[in-house]
Amino acid sequence: MSEADMAIIKPEMMMKSYIWLETADGSIQQVEQEVAMYCPMICHEVLQKGLGAGSSKNCAISLPQRVNPAMLSLILDYCRFHQVPGRSNKERKVHDEKFIRMDTKRLCELASAADSLQLKPLVDLSSRALARIIEGKTPEEIREIFHLPDDLTEEEKLEPLKNLMDDPRIRLLNRLYAKKRKELKEREKLKGKEVEERVDERSVDDLLSFINGKDHKVVKTSKSKKKNKKRKEHKNKVSHNLHSKQQGTQSVVDETASSLGGVSNLPSIEDDIFSLKTDSEDGYMDDGMDPALREMLDREVEDFARRLNSSWVLSSGQERQPVHFSINGNGATRRLTAIDD
Amino acid sequence: MNNLPEDCIAKILSLTSPRDVCRSSAVSRCFRSAADSDHVWNHFLPSEFPEDFRAPEGLPTKKHLFFSLVHNPLLLHDSQLSFSLERSTGNKCYMMAARALNITWGHDQRYWQWISLPDARFKEVAALKMVWWLDITGKINISLLSDDTLYAAYLVFKWNLDPYGFRQPVEASLVLAGTEHDDVQPSMVSLMHNPGSEQGQRAELRSDDWYEVQLGQFFKRRGDMGEIEMSLKETKRPFEKKGLIVHGIEIRPVLP
Repeated sequence: MSEADMAIIKPEMMMKSYIWLETADGSIQQVEQEVAMYCPMICHEVLQKGLGAGSSKNCAISLPQRVNPAMLSLILDYCRFHQVPGRSNKERKVHDEKFIRMDTKRLCELASAADSLQLKPLVDLSSRALARIIEGKTPEEIREIFHLPDDLTEEEKLEPLKNLMDDPRIRLLNRLYAKKRKELKEREKLKGKEVEERVDERSVDDLLSFINGKDHKVVKTSKSKKKNKKRKEHKNKVSHNLHSKQQGTQSVVDETASSLGGVSNLPSIEDDIFSLKTDSEDGYMDDGMDPALREMLDREVEDFARRLNSSWVLSSGQERQPVHFSINGNGATRRLTAIDD
Repeated sequence: MNNLPEDCIAKILSLTSPRDVCRSSAVSRCFRSAADSDHVWNHFLPSEFPEDFRAPEGLPTKKHLFFSLVHNPLLLHDSQLSFSLERSTGNKCYMMAARALNITWGHDQRYWQWISLPDARFKEVAALKMVWWLDITGKINISLLSDDTLYAAYLVFKWNLDPYGFRQPVEASLVLAGTEHDDVQPSMVSLMHNPGSEQGQRAELRSDDWYEVQLGQFFKRRGDMGEIEMSLKETKRPFEKKGLIVHGIEIRPVLP
């Protein structure tokens, strides 16, 4: 609003005056004039249609469809605070931080309503808040939070990756290496962990009682111990089995049920078998893919490796064979070797 | 969110990061359309490009331009300065060719040779034959860089078969030209791995198989003017240095 416009209006409306606003659902309310005029859209309507606009119930100003009564009242609260000229920047900031705290659904509605009323400061505030919510989330998480439909085909989901990779073949292969390396590492780690856990879990009493021949008791305690452990651990990594007691010595063999389909060759007394958790924060998360996508990529990567005449010798618990092959990239032949870290 | 118009979604996305936007294009159809829009990627591209910058041809969208600049540095300033973008923020990165640096005795063939290497970004790199007075300095206009960003400068180099004289740390400094130099102490950096005598910054291997060592850091604020002077020197020890191959000096943002 220019100074001239203000000059015209002021003398006419010396007392506190109200503007009538109508939302899309037909409900009408009256609002203090200075508060409503803080919204550019309302301001323009008043100026365009002349001074009569909004002055009574009959000629209420129609608000855009995206503004529902709940949002209107929120927005008016915002305007009511900010249209007071005397406030310091710090005050305004503090108010905004508190104001913006609401659930995601309302935040979206607020952004939409503020946008249709052209109230830029509020659009910025709500957009920033929504941006903070989106940052760092995977596509699946974003879909969940905002209740969005999963309406892209698998190919379309893969497309973004093509843009990011400088050399797709190398990236795919690196992914294959990283995955295999990680799997091996997990297995080593688990084997190491088993030994520690075995030592920790067994108390002296248990050992004594076992040695004295009370097998069933040991089984029970190991079961309950295991259940406690299950509750304690966030990541389920091992399953406990009781080895045969032919030798009379107690040995608990912990085995990992590997998601690779590794074979456990001891009978399991316990029913629970914990599987390896394979998704984690490695290079995969960098590309922000959800597990379904990753699995598909993994399959593609393995196909690709096969196509390049590579052979992975992978049997449970045994070392894998290093593989040599070459690819052509930009005219230069490079040799890539699988490193056993 | 379904009710938000696409340009609202685009505005929200432009407040995130390039990586978040890429992820968003796998969320849903309406998100993808907003995430791929020029409005968003324009926001990540620099608001000011160097004077002799010309966008490569054949790039259909701003998103393509962004990633082209991330992965394929452009050569400017008579092919002596490479320009690219840092992928997570869109901040500007530069590398000055060895030819653009001031290398004392660099013009003298007895001491330095200029050779071409296939894995170098520039036509020539400087190969040290032998020198007593090692003094490599580079200057860059600070206005070329992105505002409100912390930058670091690195000497990019490697060794020939027979390096000599670099086991001890050497002096590195980074100053804003025109300020008082006298009281600024150069820092010591190690070009070679030498347990026991290493101080300060160490050389690291880069992904392009060259080495780099950090010469210093500085924060560029909006409106900063002047030149940044970066240098690497070894002029105090009375023996010769050999075998260093200098690619250039790279200036890029420090990532958290």
